[in-house]
Amino acid sequence: MLELYDQIQAAAAAIRSQWDHTPRAGIILGTGLGGFADRIESAVAIDYEKIPNFPRSTATSHRGRLVCGMLEGVPVMAMEGRFHQYEGYPLKQITLPVRVMKAMGADLLIVTHAVGGMNPYYVPGDVMIIDDQINLMGDNPLIGINDDRLGPRFPDMSAPYTPELIAVAQEIARRENFPVQRGVMVAVTGPNLETRAEYRFLRMIGADVVGMSTVPEVIVAVHSGMRVFGLSVITDMCFPDSLKPANIDEIIAFANSAEPKLRSLVLGVVAHEKARG
Amino acid sequence: MLHVAEQIEKAAQAVQKHWSSTPRAGIVLGSGLGSLADEIAVEKTIDYADIPHFPKTTALGHEGQLVCGTLENVPVVAFQGRFHLYEGYSAEQAALPARLTKALGANVLIVSNAAGGLNPHYAVGDVMLIEDHMNFLFTNPLIGVNDDNLGPRFPDMSSPYDAEFMEIAIRVARREDFVLHRGVYLAMRGPTYETRAEYRMARRLGGDVVGMSTVPEVVAARHANMRVLGLSTVTNVGSPDAPTGTTGHDVINAAQAAANKLTKIVRAVVASLR
Repeated sequence: MLELYDQIQAAAAAIRSQWDHTPRAGIILGTGLGGFADRIESAVAIDYEKIPNFPRSTATSHRGRLVCGMLEGVPVMAMEGRFHQYEGYPLKQITLPVRVMKAMGADLLIVTHAVGGMNPYYVPGDVMIIDDQINLMGDNPLIGINDDRLGPRFPDMSAPYTPELIAVAQEIARRENFPVQRGVMVAVTGPNLETRAEYRFLRMIGADVVGMSTVPEVIVAVHSGMRVFGLSVITDMCFPDSLKPANIDEIIAFANSAEPKLRSLVLGVVAHEKARG
Repeated sequence: MLHVAEQIEKAAQAVQKHWSSTPRAGIVLGSGLGSLADEIAVEKTIDYADIPHFPKTTALGHEGQLVCGTLENVPVVAFQGRFHLYEGYSAEQAALPARLTKALGANVLIVSNAAGGLNPHYAVGDVMLIEDHMNFLFTNPLIGVNDDNLGPRFPDMSSPYDAEFMEIAIRVARREDFVLHRGVYLAMRGPTYETRAEYRMARRLGGDVVGMSTVPEVVAARHANMRVLGLSTVTNVGSPDAPTGTTGHDVINAAQAAANKLTKIVRAVVASLR
């Protein structure tokens, strides 16, 4: 894991040569949410293949570029397209961009992704503030010799998602009068969707939504001492007793329909961080 | 897996070159429990670096040496430092202490670890007798071609922990008047400590404590048909509804406080082998 440090520095240097700012926040845009990057002003977009040690995005509807610029007057780096374990990437590589964000000066990570809802009170198009997570990926990005320059050997995970930011987001939803859920996300490897029996199991162990990403990035952000804010967009319902085959067009349509809520929450959290100074 | 027998043989020969006795038991000392080795009448200490195929231990509170000597006049080897999956080692490497113990001629493995308490009745500093375990490591030291000389393809796991040893431990706790729980150890890879949601999951699945070790060693020991005693020290209590942070150093301090209870149990079980 010690060579990771040099990889991070090389990637950060390549980005700095094109965008010489200190980002305040890093944002990861999940399936169907890439359109959010259009909100970023005076943007410099850098293709992942131009950044040393970055993997390439192979997932559907993930573009594969880093958009650096200003959001609400705050310098941010947004990933249009992320990397997944099911693409065959090791978790250390998947989480490298988070390390790079931190190395460039970002102390906040905002993660978004499309998920299947298992909590029966949720409906497609809902946005869920991630309160907590369960790692069922059978792997961890911190396995290996720990590099103390990057973080502690055994990171505490008692509150991976910053409680203050959860409260800020709930306040925004109340003020703007739209429903927002708050719950637990479980991450599995995929790429197959769950069987009915697996959905029952995931619900039984306490998860509200299930996805194939985000947990590795959040673990690394916590390891790095970053504040974390996470949003899940519920794009289909996973009820084991009335399960329908997933439809990727529908999933992307529901992700797009949630964009206004997502925008309010992300912009509000970024503005809150700016006000913190 | 056919290469494992050879590796173990070489490791055993290296140990026997320094120490010629035949041990009756191997003791694996977990985080902060290394002081148990002070109870041993030491005849020889061997650095892991001098044992072929033994990796270097990178974990906090683990020294990385094999202590050979006698405890209660019974020859034993004690592993000061074990190998964890979170260090990047394979389950097969994590199981090396169990297999080396067997290759040296001992048929008993005593494993100890520091674990997080899930059962609400457990308090920091309590000791739990491992009655059973759950493998949530997403791997197994026996994956691969089976070497029938080491053990069967499909080892039975209906009672991995020896009932007679458990009885001895319970008698010691009663006589010495300390709390000894009996419960299920659930192993996860780490190195992150559990989230609140993961604690709730682990509890709902039937775990009483959660840790990042022990299961690979016990699986390999049962594969080799060894008798196993397992002890967990509760070094922090995962209370998902009133979370407090945990650091590696908190864990080590709590483990040291429980070392006395652990020592009494291990002494009694080893004495029973005479």
